Amino acid sequence: MKTDMPLSKPIRRFLTHTEETLDTEISLLRQPEADPGGTLVDKYTYDIDTNVIIFPAQYVGLLKDFVIAKHCTHLMMKGAAAEKAKFLVCSYNEESIYRGMRQIYIDALKDEAKKEKKLPVQKLIQMLFILFTHFNDDLNELPWNAIINASVYHRMPKIRKTQLYHVMKESKNDMDEMMEQESIVPRRYFVLNKAMFYARDMFLAKTLPADELIPVINIPQMKKFNHLEVKEMLTTRWTNTAWYQSKVFGDNMLSLIERPLGPVKWNDPPTLDYYYDLYKVGVLLTDNLISYMTMRDWFVWEEPKQLLKAKEEEKEFEKSALRKIFGDLITDTLEEKE
Amino acid sequence: MPVKEVIELLRKAKAYAKRTKYKEALAHIERALTLDPRYQESWFLRGSIYADTGRYREALADCEKAISIDQNYADAWTKKSVVLYNLERYDEALLASTRASSLNGNDVTAWYMKGVCLDELGKSDEAQIAYGKSLELEIILDMKNEQDRARRQ
Repeated sequence: MKTDMPLSKPIRRFLTHTEETLDTEISLLRQPEADPGGTLVDKYTYDIDTNVIIFPAQYVGLLKDFVIAKHCTHLMMKGAAAEKAKFLVCSYNEESIYRGMRQIYIDALKDEAKKEKKLPVQKLIQMLFILFTHFNDDLNELPWNAIINASVYHRMPKIRKTQLYHVMKESKNDMDEMMEQESIVPRRYFVLNKAMFYARDMFLAKTLPADELIPVINIPQMKKFNHLEVKEMLTTRWTNTAWYQSKVFGDNMLSLIERPLGPVKWNDPPTLDYYYDLYKVGVLLTDNLISYMTMRDWFVWEEPKQLLKAKEEEKEFEKSALRKIFGDLITDTLEEKE
Repeated sequence: MPVKEVIELLRKAKAYAKRTKYKEALAHIERALTLDPRYQESWFLRGSIYADTGRYREALADCEKAISIDQNYADAWTKKSVVLYNLERYDEALLASTRASSLNGNDVTAWYMKGVCLDELGKSDEAQIAYGKSLELEIILDMKNEQDRARRQ
């Protein structure tokens, strides 16, 4: 472990255990502009020799510890998959992008037909690819987020209060996401996206049931949550939002999440096999969500390097998909963009 | 009161240290110490750089020097506790963090260090109290940072 920074005991143990189990090295890096949730740069995803967990420089205490625990759990799943079989991610290719963008376009047209204020064509065209990749990003994040949080909750009781704060904060940020694009994004996708996060939140609310906010309750900004359990907090928040309609879809997604995660024995010995099983649960969960949202032909399971390559070539893929969808009509628009 | 030049040298040293240009940072601090060896911040800053570069014994000596000039220098006590922790001298690290947290009750690191040290010494229940305090302060700071970030965006 390449770090001299003080760490609480369970985190230090977990880091050491991860390094030993995966026979790898983990470096910890503070960065002033790091993402609040931290970032994992790992050798199973990128062509590097070591793994780095990056977290905001202002996190000096338990917030830092939680970020490390979270990414370390993710690293264990990735590493176990790579060791036991193959680590794959939800990816896309030229063909699948076309299928996804085409479907979004068809749904957008249905929405547009009902709108008084039509979306400018240029914006509509731009939205197709952005929305497609948005779902890919979320599908690569959200199922793992649910698993990681459940795992950390069961394995590290000492940092539960910290986790609670993180979950509340993350939930708020995810809830706010896409709000500015509400009038642009086809309703179906807006609702599905929110429903995914609703389901994740409700799953976590059920998983983290017992802890009340004490001693966090001393923080003035959190007083409004006084005496509420996590479930009540998250439910209160969701039921007070404009897109409560996401609830119907969200409840269905919640059962999709609960089905594979229900039987998981969170306190079993943290072996390579155990984390490989967790990885398989994550894949199944992702597949379930993809099927429910009828996006099966949008995405493919591939090695991470394929996804990185696809991201490099995504502008070309987007253009190719637009040409297929719009034919010659699009040529002028693409040339204008160039 | 340190001379203006010392303040300026330390300002530059901090900027270098922030960019991990420790050699340049240390050169500036050495000059500051030559100008005014009684200015505690110069010792503290040098001790911090030593700590960041793994030179714990030298870091400890500098923290102690800073504290000998100003017994109530909370940041130096906190840094001392971090250095002692890295030297695995948990009992002493606990004393330093306790002193730091009593001098500055709003120092997240001081409370966190107190928790970490108590945990190492097997005093889990007491550790939880210190961790709790540290978490409260850290959350307040984080919320403030989030608000600032939102305002900037």
